[in-house]
Amino acid sequence: MHNNVTGGKMLKKYIRIYRECIKISISTALTYRLNFLLDNFIMLVSNTIFPLVTLLIYGSGAEFPNWSLYEVLLVQAAFTMSTGIADILFNGVLWATMRHIIEGSLEIVLIKPVDCLFLLTASTVDFSGAGLFLGGAVLFAVALSHVGPVSILMALQFLILFISGVFVMMGISFIMVATSFKWVGNSRLPEIFDSIKYFGRYPQNIFHKSISGFTSFIIPVAMIGYFPAAALLGEADSIAFIAILPCFLFAMAGVLLFKYMIRLYEGVGG
Amino acid sequence: MVGAEMINYLAKKLKVIKAVALVTYKEWSAYRTHSMVSIFVGPVYFIVQYFIWSAVYSGKASLNGMELSQMLTYFGVTTLIGYLTMDFADWNLQMLVRTGKFLTFALRPIHHRFFALSQKIGHRILGLFFEFLPCLFIFVFIFKINLRPASYGWAIISVALAFLMNLYLNYTIGMTAFWLVQASGVRRVYLLLQGIFSGGLIPLVFFPPLIQKLMLFLPFQYVSYVPAMVFIGRYTLAGVSMPIPHIVGLQAIAVALTALFSEYVYRLSMKRFTGVGA
Repeated sequence: MHNNVTGGKMLKKYIRIYRECIKISISTALTYRLNFLLDNFIMLVSNTIFPLVTLLIYGSGAEFPNWSLYEVLLVQAAFTMSTGIADILFNGVLWATMRHIIEGSLEIVLIKPVDCLFLLTASTVDFSGAGLFLGGAVLFAVALSHVGPVSILMALQFLILFISGVFVMMGISFIMVATSFKWVGNSRLPEIFDSIKYFGRYPQNIFHKSISGFTSFIIPVAMIGYFPAAALLGEADSIAFIAILPCFLFAMAGVLLFKYMIRLYEGVGG
Repeated sequence: MVGAEMINYLAKKLKVIKAVALVTYKEWSAYRTHSMVSIFVGPVYFIVQYFIWSAVYSGKASLNGMELSQMLTYFGVTTLIGYLTMDFADWNLQMLVRTGKFLTFALRPIHHRFFALSQKIGHRILGLFFEFLPCLFIFVFIFKINLRPASYGWAIISVALAFLMNLYLNYTIGMTAFWLVQASGVRRVYLLLQGIFSGGLIPLVFFPPLIQKLMLFLPFQYVSYVPAMVFIGRYTLAGVSMPIPHIVGLQAIAVALTALFSEYVYRLSMKRFTGVGA
């Protein structure tokens, strides 16, 4: 009983902190609104690069076997939206932590009476990724309007798989942060994981089975774009649903690795 | 007499290049594992490209005049050329202007662009050892990609010109900081355009004919597409085919014009620049 009350209070406290951090992030964005709008606009325009290769492939009369243009765009739109959400919610953690490690100022975060990873995540919420999400959403709407009708069950399946994909993004983000405790100041860390995520941008049946097994169950990047889109196309098979578990395990692995690696941090007072 | 002066002048310049390049090489050697990230990233991207294009070419012998083997060579070559020509003179110059540190360079008896060129040579020699060569071995011996240039001589000249072109373009973009101070937005827009129109994403012959015609008059193709096509041994864009010596000649003219434009903007920049202390 006592534990439940304490747990409830703790949860309330964390929700309040997260809410305050979001308010601060919005206030910051409004203070530098021109920069914020420009960042979002550039994000939106950069987004056009992503489906460009697919558009040019189909424009030249070629195709991915058994995939129409709009079906591939649906995969890429889901991937873009997920990236947009990750940019807003988790991707700022790496740069903030890296800065703290280089400057030796992580103590400022560590001495606070909240979980370090939670505080780092909450305080780096950044709405400049909203442009990317919106760009993905527009692409998603266009692609969806060109594929077959979507039932409520398919939409529900999409939602579950899409959320699982966001958890993969979270896991990737936290693994990168954990790595930055050992590989100090390496700004190319995201490139490593971006290259692995690249597999998730395309229909998985174009890859060798060993690769699609890796992208479904080991580092489940197929869940970021491919599986959610497959659900909307009525092609989500049992593998898609089995792959949900590795997504949550992967996110958990990211959190645990962070908790382990933070012990490597050495500072002398910030 | 004039010949001797010229030799002295060149010897002095070479001495500066050697000194700055060596220091830059040593400085960045401390972070060589950062460069070595490419040994993982380059092949992984290549594997994705391999499966994408193998799927796209299924049942097709050629697309836009390119066979699958040429397409894979194209992506292998553009990746490797990227390691040799990579440049961040724009970021560096903007940082120097914004922080006021450019003043220390303005006072030195050496043109800052020449200094940036010397730094880039040192930095890319590091890239040669820790990015280019390991990835070359992986592409050739593991992926079995044919990376033998059609003509070694023209390929080397074209890559050298791409090296200079990338520097001049980036440096010119960096100089916008003399007017804007915080020019990261301009830089991002430029990098976006360069990403699309240089041919790094996809060979330019895949673009619609109108855009291909436009690209003939833009400098971006000389950074990646032209050296890659020179490497493969045939150049076509917007229906215009050219023998290799002609396109390399055109690339040299484009580099010279960009260098002149860069110098013009540099002189305008120096009229605007004011610095105190630093």
